[in-house]
Amino acid sequence: MSNKHFTIALAGNANVGKSVIFNQLTGLHQHIGNWHGKTVEKAEGTLHFKGYTIDIIDLPGIYSLSTYSIEELVSREYIATEKPDLVINVVDASLLERNLFFTLQLLELEAPLLIALNQIDMAKKKGIKIDYEKAEKTLGVPVIPTVAVSGKGVYKMLETAIEVIEKQRKIELLKPRYGKEIEERIEKLVKLLDKTQLKYPARWAAIKLLDEDKEVEKEVREVSPKIVGVAEELRAELEEIHGHSCPTVVTSERYNVASRIAKEIQEITTPLKTPMREKLHTATTHKIFGYPIMLTTVLAVFIAIFTFGDFTSTLLGDFFFGLKPAFDNVLGTGIVGQLVWGGAIEGVVGGITVALPYILPFYFILYIFEDSGYLSRIAFLMDNLMHKMGLHGKAFIPVMLSFGCNVPGCLGCRIMETTRERLLTAFVVTLVPCAATSVIILGLVGNYVGIQWALALYIINLIIIFVLGRIAFKALPGEPTELIMEMSDYRVPHIKTVAKQTWFRLREFIVMAFPLIIAGSFVIKIAEVANLLEPIANIFSPVTVTWLGLPAVTGIALIFGVLRKELTLIMLASLLGTTNFALVMTPAQMIVFTLVVMLYIPCVATISALVKEFGWKKAGTITVIEILLAILLGGIAFRLLTI
Amino acid sequence: MELPLTALRNGETGVITSTDPSVEQRMCKHRARKGWKKKVTTELCIKRLTDLGLTPGTDVTVVKSAPFNGPLEITVRGSRLAIGRGMASRILVDVER
Repeated sequence: MSNKHFTIALAGNANVGKSVIFNQLTGLHQHIGNWHGKTVEKAEGTLHFKGYTIDIIDLPGIYSLSTYSIEELVSREYIATEKPDLVINVVDASLLERNLFFTLQLLELEAPLLIALNQIDMAKKKGIKIDYEKAEKTLGVPVIPTVAVSGKGVYKMLETAIEVIEKQRKIELLKPRYGKEIEERIEKLVKLLDKTQLKYPARWAAIKLLDEDKEVEKEVREVSPKIVGVAEELRAELEEIHGHSCPTVVTSERYNVASRIAKEIQEITTPLKTPMREKLHTATTHKIFGYPIMLTTVLAVFIAIFTFGDFTSTLLGDFFFGLKPAFDNVLGTGIVGQLVWGGAIEGVVGGITVALPYILPFYFILYIFEDSGYLSRIAFLMDNLMHKMGLHGKAFIPVMLSFGCNVPGCLGCRIMETTRERLLTAFVVTLVPCAATSVIILGLVGNYVGIQWALALYIINLIIIFVLGRIAFKALPGEPTELIMEMSDYRVPHIKTVAKQTWFRLREFIVMAFPLIIAGSFVIKIAEVANLLEPIANIFSPVTVTWLGLPAVTGIALIFGVLRKELTLIMLASLLGTTNFALVMTPAQMIVFTLVVMLYIPCVATISALVKEFGWKKAGTITVIEILLAILLGGIAFRLLTI
Repeated sequence: MELPLTALRNGETGVITSTDPSVEQRMCKHRARKGWKKKVTTELCIKRLTDLGLTPGTDVTVVKSAPFNGPLEITVRGSRLAIGRGMASRILVDVER
């Protein structure tokens, strides 16, 4: 009996508590990667239960098994071809109808199924009473009520899962029935498809053919083009009968089935009092009050993050640099010592002291926003503004992230539905001034030229973002998609899940960015030790001195800035031999310098994030465009400021 | 009375009559006249809408719309959705007035 190995996949709509169940099941035994060749996240975990080893796959949260998004494709390919031992369909008990629509598709795919009826506490609050036994009978699969956040029912769910897999409990999958005229046509196609070797169940493939599913059509065409032709005819007949396009007819009928089942198994009594979460929703999406609430919240978060980040960063920095004398004693201040300290250790220290204190709280708060449901309200309010730069409301999230750091911003572009939108958002994101850039804007221009100039730079940056966003929007081929988004009920975020998500994101960042930062520091340190920096700066001098009107040493500072942008300021101070920049640079030079730093290149960590998400070519293109743009605008600014 | 979803008042409920691309094409021309260059999305978005429960014959309520011509907040089959105006204008509903 012992040491058996099973695979269970979790499937369901977004916002049903699927990831909470995943976390309850797997704890820290998780691995977050990508689906093969796709930028869709794949979360896997292992669980040991009663002598069984169970691999859990958390499929992305989706509403259907069609081809609207990569997530949907990935999920159905996984279920159809990898054939997990069991699919646990996590269902939101308070939104039965729409959730069952998805369940029906899993049944059509003939996946071995178990339903976790989650958030039953929430359903109760909404006055929804569900007859579990009747649900089991109707759907033909085990239905286990759960409350994921408190872990209620999860144990029983697992026990039942094992029973089902070990076939100690038989399940008779319900075959959802459509209207007579559709069923007849499904039958016809099934008869034809039965003779072919498809990886999908024949009935599912037949339904998908009527659903005008391009992927299934492609695969069927490969084995028998004739069937596709028959399907086309059948579709035309159905369209004639119903007066709607065939996919709409199929979807509509499936929803009718879902609706009928939902009505059979649940009883709804609407509570008389408007619950708190509804009031909160009304306030936070209000056409007047929604905006001040949003601004206050976002500002408060930024102030909190920057205060915390600044404090922790100084503390950690002091600690590490306090170690330097001790280090010098050991390795000496010779070339070896310099290389090790300046190359390797300073890179790590820089990463730890600068990135982590800001990124950690940023991620944490972002996930709290997301989990609670506030993020979707922000997207709702900001949709129109984002449209001005060719994006839609959801893009506000990665853009907001980028004010902290461009790297999570780039990775956050995954929430956009199409590749085109991901790329567009990523482009905009890399133009957003991150925390490090803000340090320079405020530290150099804000301190020495005046805070109004610092503000002006921010405004210029925003204008550039809008203009370039629009240009990219027009230039990129493909069609825009509009906002379609669920605004699920507000809820108290599950801190354990949020903490875990934060931890995995942070680890992803460290793994990606740190090696590059260290390698980069090392290369630059070698160049410095070999006295190559000045010659390199001289090569750039036609640009930096002649075109931009900056001191020649800024060339060196800008090279360092590729690693981490705040290094430009640190390097500038050490190269010019003073931290009082007013003595060595004119206000115009400071403004031009900051403008260039703001735009000139995404830092090395951001570039690697771009490469990871979009490949070398696109990452390279974005980088080159931004370098050219920075040089162009810097030169213009220099001439305007020195008239 | 048949109206696009965008014409409903806040709090008003209608029954969906169509979400079909043919309507979409009509809107396309309408927009092109107004100098709106954006090509309207294809069947894919219709598919998404129907997958979310906006099928013909379904009750849909417009709760409110975000300011500055922002998206609509609607409830359908018990769930709350935000959908862009362009798409909402392509959903025709039957309302009693």
